[in-house]
Amino acid sequence: MPSAEIAVPRAAAPLLEARGLTKHFRVGGIFSRHTLHAVDQVDLAIHPREIVAIVGESGSGKSTVARLLAGVYRPTAGEIFHHGRALSQMRSRRAMLAYRGRVQMVFQDPYSSLNPVYPAARGIFRALKLHRKDLGRDARRQEVLRILESVGLTPSREFIRKYPHELSGGQRQRYGFAQALASRPETILADEPVSMLDVSIRLGVLNVMAELRRQEDVSFLYITHDIASARYIADRILVMYAGQVAESGLVEDVLAGPKHPYTQLLLSAVPDPRAELDVTAADKGEPPRVIDPGEGCRFRWRCPYRIEICDRVTPALSPVGPGQMAACHVAAGVAVGESSATAAPPASGR
Amino acid sequence: MYPEVALQDSVPSEAQPGGRAAWLARPGRVGRFLLSNRKATLGFVILGIFIVMAIFAPMIAPYDPNATAFLPTLPPSHDHFLGTTSQGQDIFSQLIWGARQTLLIGGIAGLAATALSVLVGVTAAYLGGLVDHILSVITDIFLVIPALPLMLVIAAYAQGGGMWVLITVIAVTGWSFGARQIRPQALSLRHRDFLESARVRGENSAYIIVFEILPNMISLIVAIFLGAALYAVLAAAGLQFIGLGNADEISWGTMLYWGENNEALLSGSPLWIMAPGACIALLGASVALINYAVDELGNPALRTARRQRGRRAAG
Amino acid sequence: MAGEPRVEGSSVAHEATVLEVRHLGVEYLTGDAPVRAVDDVSLILRRGEFLGLVGESGCGKSTLCFAIARLLGDNAEITDGEILFSGKNLVHLREKQLRHLRWRELSVVMQSAMNALNPVMTVGAQLADAMRAHDKLPAREVRKRGSAVLELVGIDPIHLNSYPHQLSGGMRQRAMIAMALVFIPDLIIMDEPTSALDVVAQRSLMVQVKELQRELGFAVIFVTHDISLIARFSDRLAIMYAGEIVEMGGTRQVFEDPKHPYSRGLLGAFPSIRGPKEVLKGIPGSPPDLRHPPSGCRFHPRCQYVMDICPTAPPPAYTPRGNDLVRCYLYAGRGTPETDMEEAEDRERHALR
Repeated sequence: MPSAEIAVPRAAAPLLEARGLTKHFRVGGIFSRHTLHAVDQVDLAIHPREIVAIVGESGSGKSTVARLLAGVYRPTAGEIFHHGRALSQMRSRRAMLAYRGRVQMVFQDPYSSLNPVYPAARGIFRALKLHRKDLGRDARRQEVLRILESVGLTPSREFIRKYPHELSGGQRQRYGFAQALASRPETILADEPVSMLDVSIRLGVLNVMAELRRQEDVSFLYITHDIASARYIADRILVMYAGQVAESGLVEDVLAGPKHPYTQLLLSAVPDPRAELDVTAADKGEPPRVIDPGEGCRFRWRCPYRIEICDRVTPALSPVGPGQMAACHVAAGVAVGESSATAAPPASGR
Repeated sequence: MYPEVALQDSVPSEAQPGGRAAWLARPGRVGRFLLSNRKATLGFVILGIFIVMAIFAPMIAPYDPNATAFLPTLPPSHDHFLGTTSQGQDIFSQLIWGARQTLLIGGIAGLAATALSVLVGVTAAYLGGLVDHILSVITDIFLVIPALPLMLVIAAYAQGGGMWVLITVIAVTGWSFGARQIRPQALSLRHRDFLESARVRGENSAYIIVFEILPNMISLIVAIFLGAALYAVLAAAGLQFIGLGNADEISWGTMLYWGENNEALLSGSPLWIMAPGACIALLGASVALINYAVDELGNPALRTARRQRGRRAAG
Repeated sequence: MAGEPRVEGSSVAHEATVLEVRHLGVEYLTGDAPVRAVDDVSLILRRGEFLGLVGESGCGKSTLCFAIARLLGDNAEITDGEILFSGKNLVHLREKQLRHLRWRELSVVMQSAMNALNPVMTVGAQLADAMRAHDKLPAREVRKRGSAVLELVGIDPIHLNSYPHQLSGGMRQRAMIAMALVFIPDLIIMDEPTSALDVVAQRSLMVQVKELQRELGFAVIFVTHDISLIARFSDRLAIMYAGEIVEMGGTRQVFEDPKHPYSRGLLGAFPSIRGPKEVLKGIPGSPPDLRHPPSGCRFHPRCQYVMDICPTAPPPAYTPRGNDLVRCYLYAGRGTPETDMEEAEDRERHALR
């Protein structure tokens, strides 16, 4: 089944694509047989100049997806394609380095993402040395200054000398972006880049991302648990639960008309003081089971619409609206019932 | 256009969890700290004296330490500050020259043991899994083996070889303690994002270990080195005292050996034993003092709170 | 009963004052010069009232809480002011007297339950510990109360025998709250109890706390950095910046009409999930280093309304709406400065007796 996430035709082919991405960890010691299903059968695509958000709670697998795409973990199953070339085919160090030059990453914790022993800008210098070998020493320094300016760390001549302990959290995150930009990537995987920053500083960093997309043609995969910030900068959204994609589509569509019960729960729980909330605190927010989960929908324990098939068959992503997909038997059934023209019947579980 | 960040915002308001290695970034502060710490100053002074003694031995020592040219068993006098041995050698000269071998053994064996500790500890932590298991078992085995009997066996088997045998023996029996300390710290670093950031940047494993991990562990490595050097000095002295070193070489340990063999305490030249004994103790103490100071440097929680002067009276 | 209580302004049933803080100052003794982490903070808390204390990192909100609970470490001390609780000034009480008060009348829920719960003791054992430390109860009563208090927070009493690592993050946090409730105190101080939880668990916990509050009648000081979370649940809101309370008032009023420029910036920093999409700016710069605070008004370097007077001296607390408080020269002359506010407070207190 092709990764038909969006019905709206895109002119360009995807930069980065994942099909059936799966990552399992063995837990419980060397001889145990239990597996933790961190990520299961995830499809996603990132196109040029696009910001895709992955939204989920902790344990949903969103950070693991980022690390799989960054090449930090190797997938248990499934494949990642970069401009159509499979990542598993890239054996040589040179190929991997070239990939890293195109796909970079920004990390969550500003207090642990910079090596405290060196000046914060050192990572930028190293990245240039590794990926832009054509630059001589002076050109390299000029480039570092230019990149610092582009993320708002001015005057760059002062910031190039600073050590991490002299910087605030927001500033450290900007260095993280600067390092990621050094190799002139097409895609930056941003793993919760603002979650650990003060509220009043978050917007500044998010605005930097939007500007980078506009000025430097960088696509972003924005991973977060904060659905409001996802709406703020992203074009498309994937909602993840228990290692699987629960719903995906254009941001405005999904937020205006969530089809998966988990998305609905998530939206109802977001504290938006300007809106009138309707109530229920029945759901206590218990984390999902990802160790040896077995067949069946992983959300069924908390789902108000649970039906018999939910216990037996793991739902697959199926269209529930123009450009919107959800992995839910009930939502798919409703969609099939409603639409006359489109949609194949929901695929049964694998 | 881009959200600008003014320079005066650089001074952060949150406490900085700079961690143990942040001091590498501020060498001036390190120097000041070490000099202001009384323990460290004392330790450095004593160690400094011994190092000077060892380096300038030919100029400081009045006589050739091996020369049996003098009257035996002389009491301390103007010509012989510490008297002479029962073979007629000047004890003071022997003491001066002996510093060389003692310091060399302590330093080199300490370095060797530390290098082994770091190698095993970091490799186990970084590679994890089965390798970690195996290396940890090996470390535990070496920890549990009683050092002295092992040293005796090895030294005896090598038939009382000289300095290098001692160094080997000490390194082999002394590395496990350090490895056991290095592994957890390396493990705690392993999940820090800056390591992943380096990998994502494209660095290879060797680079990451040497340039990203090790610099963050310097204070621990220095502390381990000091501990290992202390252990080496005492172990070498002990082995030489028993006679397992090369008795023809001059060091504080061999002085003890010869003094003991000639019943120096009873026969009127007690300084033959007491002087090298005191020096060994002082050297050990100086290393321990410096160790305390380095510990405090790396772990601010250990610093005794000093009330600053000129505090405002409570309102 | 499920449902969001929409209590505005002051609380309903009991109006007596349970806590009064007057001009409190707290300093940290660091190497060079003391850092003034809390400066001239005054507030009144009525019985059963829910006060939200909002601020970003380094603003002093946690320090304020620890100061009120007299739990400051050795490196900090209360340099000025009074804390009047239950008729006594807590600043002058000694440890023995404080222990008598603690947990019976005033308890604290810490920020990170993962760290605050003892990993090698069962939940029941820790509850028993808390009870025995502050009162003499027979074993049967201890068990009964432990059960009851777990049920109150929505945990199955079977977990009295569970270890903390066997519970989820949300449940651990609830267990902490249960521990704070054991003697049904008059005041519970909660220091960011939800920050480690996911959005759904957060919401559920807040609703639970609010229900308990209505049922048992205790007052709450709820510290958080997330103003949007607390706005649904608190009666009054106090916003802290660089050690001072810069604005305080009824939640609705502060929310709908924030007066202090920092409050305005803070409220404008939350992108909405509904309504039109707009470009937001946030607040430029970052919170000041309290070792070298800006002169005058501590917010002036980041303020878009800054005037000439702002760097000269710290603004007094004005009361443009009678019950509220704003530390900003924009409101000079529009309300009554400090001395009048004290008179207004005195009048209120008399009215409540």
